[in-house]
Amino acid sequence: MSLARDRVGTWIGWAFFADLASALALTFGYMFSRSVTMQYPDKEKWLPYPRYRGHHFLTRDDEGEIKCVACELCARICPCDCIEVIPYEDDKGSRHPAKFEIDMARCLFCGLCEDACPADAIALGQQYEFSSFSSRDLVVGRDDLLGKPGKARTGGGVVAARLNTEQDVLVETSERRGYNWWRNIRRT
Amino acid sequence: MELIVALGLIAFKVALLIAILLLLPLPLTWLERKIAGRMQQRMGPMRVGWHGLLQPVADGIKLLTKEDHIPAEADRFLFKLAPILALTPPFVVFVAIPFGETVSVLGAEITLYVSNMNVALLFVFAVIGLEVYGVIFGGWAANSKYAVLGSLRTCAQMISYEIPMGFAVIGVVMLAQSMSLLEIVRAQADVWNVVYQPVGFFVFFVAGLAEAQRIPFDLAEAEGDLGAGFHTEYSGIRFAFFMVSEYAIVLLVSVLVVILFFGGWNGILVPLPPLLWFLLKVAFFVYLFIWFRFTFPRYRYDQLMAIGWKVLLPLSMANIIITGVALGAVAAP
Ligand code: SF4
Ligand code: SF4
Repeated sequence: MSLARDRVGTWIGWAFFADLASALALTFGYMFSRSVTMQYPDKEKWLPYPRYRGHHFLTRDDEGEIKCVACELCARICPCDCIEVIPYEDDKGSRHPAKFEIDMARCLFCGLCEDACPADAIALGQQYEFSSFSSRDLVVGRDDLLGKPGKARTGGGVVAARLNTEQDVLVETSERRGYNWWRNIRRT
Repeated sequence: MELIVALGLIAFKVALLIAILLLLPLPLTWLERKIAGRMQQRMGPMRVGWHGLLQPVADGIKLLTKEDHIPAEADRFLFKLAPILALTPPFVVFVAIPFGETVSVLGAEITLYVSNMNVALLFVFAVIGLEVYGVIFGGWAANSKYAVLGSLRTCAQMISYEIPMGFAVIGVVMLAQSMSLLEIVRAQADVWNVVYQPVGFFVFFVAGLAEAQRIPFDLAEAEGDLGAGFHTEYSGIRFAFFMVSEYAIVLLVSVLVVILFFGGWNGILVPLPPLLWFLLKVAFFVYLFIWFRFTFPRYRYDQLMAIGWKVLLPLSMANIIITGVALGAVAAP
């Protein structure tokens, strides 16, 4: 009995396009839901999570001396062979890198160098905007690496930003903590 | 003197119509992309002009300056002819379409139509039937399997849907006792035809979707299985011709639905200028086309044929018979 009634109901639904109508209602509802587009680079920018593996940076210890002891473990473990370290010995008798170069064009951002380092000297930071027209520009030296931004503290949000094309192409932002991008996603 | 003025007026109207039809795809593509974006929680074009308003202009410039490539194996004459053949019929049809009664400009009464043919409906269907030539030639001349398959599908589809479409309007003609679109609209001053002819409207609209090659009947250019269908091999300005003709047909079907079933420029409840009413209704149906496109999947080819021959055709025939019987019953003393 109920089966037969179900079947009749289905047929009536088909005759009046109930399924098509509900599909149309769904898309119409979506038309007025918030957009999830992140307007990068014009208006917004993504702040990566603290766990994000971006551009490398080298750290200094409390005396301002570079932490790296030029043990070359990072160079050894690197699967892409993209780190080159040449050590020297300073007056106090401690080893430091005279040359420390990472070829970002070859790096695959696995973070093994960070894991291997015994001195916590190298890590992968939050910067991800370093594209370039020449792969030669992507070979980064020791002093550049010392100046790179460190790991993100907050992150995982969208902040207001501005595209600056005056000198270099930069996406500037002054906010530190953005809104949670996932809140705009409609899941029904 | 009077003849010259009349001819000048007609020439002006035709020029205006062509200009409008050529320019209308610009806002329509923008709208389509915006609506598609919103429905998919995107924003659509945003970067060229305010909210991407100038995007269609940029696209137009891109199409104009792109290489106009003709495949080596193509039949060059037909290949060049096809876009023009596809573009012309939708433009020609608009000659017979009335947009309103009259407006007075500077004291002179000007009719809002180019010509008031007494067989306008027949003319519309005859000319729209020619549209299929552009598609066939385009697909055949390109000498590519996707194009040929696309154009074969289109032919079969257009021809089979023209029949129920033609039958569906017979009910309207019976009600208005005229084939002139002007008379048909005048006959709907009190009650719109859609009240008397819901089935006719349904058949006409579905067949119109198929005629315009829109989802769910866009098998001719099913991106998934045919590349782009009959215009796979076209690029640059010739491709733009096909696109313009497609939008013109969407517009044409919307206009026809409004004129035949939704009272043309007759308003209800709100007293707006007739032309505005007309444009609002047309805009609604154009929106409906876009809305459908981003809601429904595509029918399979056999389903398409089954809908055309086994559902729409019997429905439209039954509609004629029932309309005839009902009219006879009303007319009988
Ligand atoms: S992240 Fe991986 S690939 Fe890149 S430098 Fe470090 S170890 Fe090499
Ligand atoms: S960065 Fe770390 S692992 Fe690499 S050479 Fe320096 S101390 Fe050794």
